[in-house]
Amino acid sequence: MSAELLNTVDIDSKLQKEPPQEILRYALSQFDNIALSFSGAEDVVLLDMATQIRPNIEVFCLDTGRLHSETYRFIEKAREHYNINIDVLYPDGSAVRKLVKEKGLYSFYQDNHQECCSIRKIAPLKNKLLELDAWVTGQRKDQSPGTRGTIPVIQNDRLFARPNETLTKFNPLANWTSRQVWDYIRAYNVPYNELHDRGYQSIGCEPCTRPTGPNQHEREGRWWWEEATQKECGLHASNVKKA
Amino acid sequence: MKITLVKKILADGSPCKKCGDVLQKLEESGHMSRIDEVLVADEREPNSAGLQLAKDLNVHRAPFFVVEKEGQDPEVHTVYLKFVKDVLEQSTSASDEALEIMNDNPDLDFI
Repeated sequence: MSAELLNTVDIDSKLQKEPPQEILRYALSQFDNIALSFSGAEDVVLLDMATQIRPNIEVFCLDTGRLHSETYRFIEKAREHYNINIDVLYPDGSAVRKLVKEKGLYSFYQDNHQECCSIRKIAPLKNKLLELDAWVTGQRKDQSPGTRGTIPVIQNDRLFARPNETLTKFNPLANWTSRQVWDYIRAYNVPYNELHDRGYQSIGCEPCTRPTGPNQHEREGRWWWEEATQKECGLHASNVKKA
Repeated sequence: MKITLVKKILADGSPCKKCGDVLQKLEESGHMSRIDEVLVADEREPNSAGLQLAKDLNVHRAPFFVVEKEGQDPEVHTVYLKFVKDVLEQSTSASDEALEIMNDNPDLDFI
């Protein structure tokens, strides 16, 4: 089925009640040209689930060049464990060179992480998604209630779609909590990044990630030096009455 | 082809900063003449034309552009620089476009 035939809003309302495995099964039944985004952290549960449905599922990973060595080792471990190819994506060298030449290696501590993330993650992600009809992420609502509280399990991804075409994005773990993810990892003996055993709840680039303490939200382990900023681009849909 | 720009007024009556930035860029580049209609999504007015259009098209952020071509479904663009490149056919910097996406979509930083 082609993506334009999918009414993602209606399907989302049905899939919201389904477990991640069923959402993945639906996604893989609808799309051949679909890939799973793997960060080298606890989203490994998606790899575990997806390879049981489609053993040769396409997987890609964003290597920002700043990951922990433990994460690189874990990506390789996952590749071997699931016997899959992982397409490791890299940022454009000239863009990184320009950033570092102008602002140094740790500019994000002075002017926030967005510029660095845009070069090291968003640009290569954007290029990769131009190849696909659909993609799967490990995004969960509980990762950051401020920015992810309303993510659907399926959505029409207008941000990264090819011009005049559609791209469908699946978030099978949207409604799972961190606890559910870890229950799955332990119940099924899923391999995981060793940094988790050292207090890292959320794992990203090495300079921007730190362990968290008891009762700290995982978000506090990422970009902790930045103040929460007021996001004003969202439209408050609750204000919109039905016509 | 008809191009509609939807800009936002916040609940406190102030204009959305990004909308202002986009309007300024459109004016400075001379592209404002390509915009056929500007609608306001006023958070104080649930029935404002911009909010209704956003609801109809399932758009959750502003500013955004709607491109209508005869016989085709409307295209929605929420990334200004992508709109400039794809619709107005002006070259843009890949880095600038990626930064706009990152700045406007904080949920992506966990990817």
